Amino acid sequence: MTAWRTMGRSAFATAIVAALAWTHGAHAQDSTKTAPAPDAPAPAAPSPAATSATPVAEKVVLPPPSPLHERASHPLAAVPTDSKPTKTTRMCGVCHSDIRVKFDKGIHKSEEIGCISCHGGNPDAITIAEAHRGSGYRGRPRRADIPALCGSCHSDVARMRPYQLPSDQFALYRTSAHGLALARGTMNAAVCTDCHGVHEIRPADDPLSMVARHNVPTTCGRCHGGNGDPARPATPGSPLADYKAGIHGHALLVGNNNAAPECANCHGSHATAQPGARDVDKVCGQCHGKVRSFFMSSPHRGAVRRGGHSDCAVCHGNHKTTRIAATAFEKTCDSCHKPGTPEGAVAGRIQTMLADASAQIDRARERVSRAEKIPLYVEDYQARLEDARTALMEAAPATHTVDTTAVEPHTRRARSIAAEVSREVDEKLKGRWWRYVGLGLFWFYLILTAAILLRWRRRAIARSTSVR
Amino acid sequence: MSDAPRDTQTPPPDSRSWLERRVNLTEIASLLTVFGLLPAELDTRKPLREALGEALSQPMSYYERWPRLLGLLAFVLFLLLGATGILLAFYYQPTADAAYPSVVAIARDVSFGSLVHQVHAWASILFLFLLAFRVIRFFSIGLYGRGREIIWMVGVLAFVVATFTDLTGRLLPWDARGYWTTIRAREVIDALPLIGPIVTFLVGGKGLDSLILTRFYVLHIGGFPFVLLILFYLHFASIRRVGVPLPLDAAQKPRVGRALRIAGIDMILLVLLMLGVLLTFAIIVPIPFDVQADPFATPPNAHAPWYLLAPHAVLEAVPGLLPRFVRGLLLDGLLAGFLFLPFLDRSPGTGARNRAFLAAGLALLVIWVLLTWQGWFLEVSR
Repeated sequence: MTAWRTMGRSAFATAIVAALAWTHGAHAQDSTKTAPAPDAPAPAAPSPAATSATPVAEKVVLPPPSPLHERASHPLAAVPTDSKPTKTTRMCGVCHSDIRVKFDKGIHKSEEIGCISCHGGNPDAITIAEAHRGSGYRGRPRRADIPALCGSCHSDVARMRPYQLPSDQFALYRTSAHGLALARGTMNAAVCTDCHGVHEIRPADDPLSMVARHNVPTTCGRCHGGNGDPARPATPGSPLADYKAGIHGHALLVGNNNAAPECANCHGSHATAQPGARDVDKVCGQCHGKVRSFFMSSPHRGAVRRGGHSDCAVCHGNHKTTRIAATAFEKTCDSCHKPGTPEGAVAGRIQTMLADASAQIDRARERVSRAEKIPLYVEDYQARLEDARTALMEAAPATHTVDTTAVEPHTRRARSIAAEVSREVDEKLKGRWWRYVGLGLFWFYLILTAAILLRWRRRAIARSTSVR
Repeated sequence: MSDAPRDTQTPPPDSRSWLERRVNLTEIASLLTVFGLLPAELDTRKPLREALGEALSQPMSYYERWPRLLGLLAFVLFLLLGATGILLAFYYQPTADAAYPSVVAIARDVSFGSLVHQVHAWASILFLFLLAFRVIRFFSIGLYGRGREIIWMVGVLAFVVATFTDLTGRLLPWDARGYWTTIRAREVIDALPLIGPIVTFLVGGKGLDSLILTRFYVLHIGGFPFVLLILFYLHFASIRRVGVPLPLDAAQKPRVGRALRIAGIDMILLVLLMLGVLLTFAIIVPIPFDVQADPFATPPNAHAPWYLLAPHAVLEAVPGLLPRFVRGLLLDGLLAGFLFLPFLDRSPGTGARNRAFLAAGLALLVIWVLLTWQGWFLEVSR
């Protein structure tokens, strides 16, 4: 019943649309001339990748669709219920209404970049054949052509200037691992649409965009999710799961900390590539600058430059980045330096320093929270404990020198502040003995009163019996 | 009679003190009787000294002493709660922003503030237990029979109002435990048909905000204590009219014991002992402070108060057995049945009562304790 009604209504709508288009056909055709269609770029656009690519049939394994963008399809009706021409999609939206719905959510709609800008064709035609002919009709662009197609506008400095958008993405892309693979003829290498969406292209600062910071891991994970999934062959291992389990992924996705890095912060976005072994400390040093400066003064730095394996990722992991606990220090160094060696002894000493300070702080914190529940004044102690914690935090970057003399001042400061706080709070807690003295005094007077009352009672009994 | 020699002399009219010639001190002292602190009536026409001496010399049956002492202790606790409550109210500020800091200031900065606060908290616990124990005792020996209906109903109502006072008091510190206890309690009360909507209407909403805190404060320091005072008065007034109950064994005559003077000393001793225990608890086992309430962070073990754990278990556990509404009606019915028990159980006499009722009551008590246990774990497993 409902299906009948919708079909009836949609047919009616189509009829009206067709009639309107018929009557205003001439006017509509006039307006095409002012639309941005003429500078649709197909033949003129630079497409070196396309020309060098093998003319294979496009039988590529594509990544699964992004979960962000739902599919709007209407299996019941040939012409969808919401079909209508709009200013930007013109008559294309009548048949391709599911695409129009997606397109309307994107940024290109508001900039009046219509269907024909990328696909060509005649947007005002009312027959399929006529619509799919027209000026430079391209249909669905080949994957190999997509970067150049997008680049035809986005590489145009003058055109991008008002939006303050960079115009070097296409050039960067061609140097990237994705661009080089595409040039080699690997047709499932990522092109613009794989990361930015096909029709629903949202700006990067839109939270629903596939390239919004918190969506980037999922977007990259469509190909680089790994773990032996044949649809995601791009990367060995499981970088997406590792990233989510690591401290960066947790901070960004669970803690909503937008300062935490996503994939592109280490790998680049348009010029994406794997950082070389000698560059890892530079990549990490973008954010962890102080740590890197300590690392540069350590003997590990030379080993990195000589091509050895002692970069950041050896201890902290690459995708599954972890913080190394004070108690796990020696174990981590153990993987290269055995405990008997001089290097192993240094590791042991640093761990002892860190663990001692950390334990001392924990002890002081426990006492302060006990005092807070009584409640006593603890604001001062809490402030000093914060100092101790800061000192311990300062010790962490210093450990990258693997030099005990650089670590020791920080841990000593943390330890001594915490110990002082512990001692003072202990004194304060022990100073509450007077309460028990007060209680004892109270009971003393209570028993005294009771004794007097009992004496009265005895006398009263004696008197009443004697009188009786 | 066996009066002391000095009491037999009728004082000359001018022997009354300056004050007593202007104010009837005996009448004022008879308030002790009115609120059950003195189990004998004072003759308000006589001067205080004489009337007291007369009353204290009256003999008192042994049986008479024990049942009145629970009420007496409860009323002494009520007075103590009032006194400590007034001291706390000097510093307390009933707004959501200022409540917690003001309570911390009371416990930390004010001289003996912590002690007063702890005594108030422990006294409220003891007060509730005494009232509950009293109702259980009345039930177990059938002290709700003909003529004692008012005493029974007022006893039950006093316990209910005391729980309300306790509940409103728990919110006042605006700490996490008190806040979430109140939230849980509101959940239980709101689920009761008839009672829930009335309470929600009276309090003015289901949320807990600064306005509700103010209302709870007013109810805690003004509304409920006033109702309790009236109930106490009614209770003792009815006892004075009906008289103390006869011993359980009808054949056993009430033994006439010592004069009230001696029984009075026993009462004072008992009150002193209670105060000592209270102070010991307040100092040795202080109730610890919790962090300030955060409406957006439920602590892991938020419990309803102990007297609402069993209703909570009835409402929440074994889902699907009965609709929630029916279970709420059941709880309502239970409360109403308990309140109007004297009119349900019409078996004669005040002593040994209908055994079926006694057995049912005992079973109910056991079930209640088990449900309370379950209610506690219901919260823990949440």
